[in-house]
Amino acid sequence: MKGFATLLWLEYRRSRVWAAALLGSLLFWFWGLNQVTVTDVGERAGIRVAIVGIAALVGVIVLCFMIGRIRGETRRGQYQILLLTPPSGYLHILARFLFALGVAIVYYVIIGGLLWWVALQAGIHPDAGSVLQLLLAGPFYCIGAVLVPFLVWTLLLMVFSSAFRLSGPGWIPGIVMVAGTPFLLRWIGDGILSVSHSLPTWRMYAGLTALAERFSPEELEITVNGVPVAQEPLWIMLALSVVMLIIAGRIWQEVEG
Amino acid sequence: MLAQLREVTKRYVKTEGVRDLTLDIDEGQVLGVLGLNGSGKTTMLKLMAGLLFPTKGEITVLGGPPRANRAKLVYLGETDALYAWMTPRDGERFMAGLYQDFQPERYHELLDFLKVPRRKTKAMSRGERGRLRLAMALSRDVKLYLLDEPLAGIDLISRERILKSLVREWRTGATIVLSTHEVAEAEGLFERVVFLKEGRVALDTKAEALREEGKSVVSTFREVLG
Repeated sequence: MKGFATLLWLEYRRSRVWAAALLGSLLFWFWGLNQVTVTDVGERAGIRVAIVGIAALVGVIVLCFMIGRIRGETRRGQYQILLLTPPSGYLHILARFLFALGVAIVYYVIIGGLLWWVALQAGIHPDAGSVLQLLLAGPFYCIGAVLVPFLVWTLLLMVFSSAFRLSGPGWIPGIVMVAGTPFLLRWIGDGILSVSHSLPTWRMYAGLTALAERFSPEELEITVNGVPVAQEPLWIMLALSVVMLIIAGRIWQEVEG
Repeated sequence: MLAQLREVTKRYVKTEGVRDLTLDIDEGQVLGVLGLNGSGKTTMLKLMAGLLFPTKGEITVLGGPPRANRAKLVYLGETDALYAWMTPRDGERFMAGLYQDFQPERYHELLDFLKVPRRKTKAMSRGERGRLRLAMALSRDVKLYLLDEPLAGIDLISRERILKSLVREWRTGATIVLSTHEVAEAEGLFERVVFLKEGRVALDTKAEALREEGKSVVSTFREVLG
């Protein structure tokens, strides 16, 4: 346990600049949202949603860079030191993943908050059981179904390329792995679609009421009774992530330094 | 027997690091592993540390496979590999958190003895970083220390301090396997020397036996490997 806590501390020390920069960027995004001064409510909301979308995408990219810096450590020899430490490779991988996940949760819950604020400004009133429920439901579903697999895939890719020092013939599996990613994603996507809604559909929110008076000269209220989402993508992606984490840990256990 | 290598060969893509290497290492020795560049010193130490796996042959360290026993030995590699943000205090946090045999008192003594400045490694000289790495390594209480070129690229004063600390920290029962190019400076440390040439043992002898023959380790180095 002490060893794992130390690995988390090490991850914090290695990545705290990245984490601080990412979380600090939220101020920039909030400032950006306030700079949108278009008078048309619908257009303003659209631009703001786009900004939040960019913020979410930047988060994925930064987090993937943060978690995937193993190649540099291999070059500098730090990977060698870590390979010889008593904690198993699985714990090393888990510590890296959990730290990035912790940063991601903070970042995306705040992004969710920004989206909620944008909705309120546009006259859309999310009728959630509570603000907390609203914040947790959306970001956590997206983190589980999209971000977690991306992070773990990046981690696996970097551990793989560090372990086998992609050079000479080693480039072949490396290129296959990178080039095959889009095909793999499509195959997984098709698989998920074919089984979606086999399990009961989730209602993400208690309800969503859009007071559309600002969009139309006539007062119009649209009520959505919850946002239906399939739960299969979440479970499938989480299961795949666990498998990839185990493979990355296994590679760490077996690799030469 | 602390470590055994039996007909160990390590093959890389185009070369062989070591070839049919057989060696027994007893407890309580200071063993010098000497050889020219590319003679297989680093490969041998990495194999013993469990960082590399042999292509052929068998290695037993501390009664088992090296990788499984990695927590029971110290390996100090030749790469200057500390994190740039790391201070001696961070080094203590790192070592104490990961190694149960880490001795904080000894670490502080060594930091003082080796005159390691209390600042980030990125603000240290290569010699200072080398001394910090050695302090971290020697602060562990283990039976086997594998030190690969701890004197390489380090100034004379730092080299002397490192050698003095090795003498000071060597304890009965502990074995130090030291590879170095600074043969003349480290000569007084060695009880036994193994000369490697092209991945094979060219000579394995006691330093005392050489002295009785009126030879030094340096002269034998030139004679065997020159």
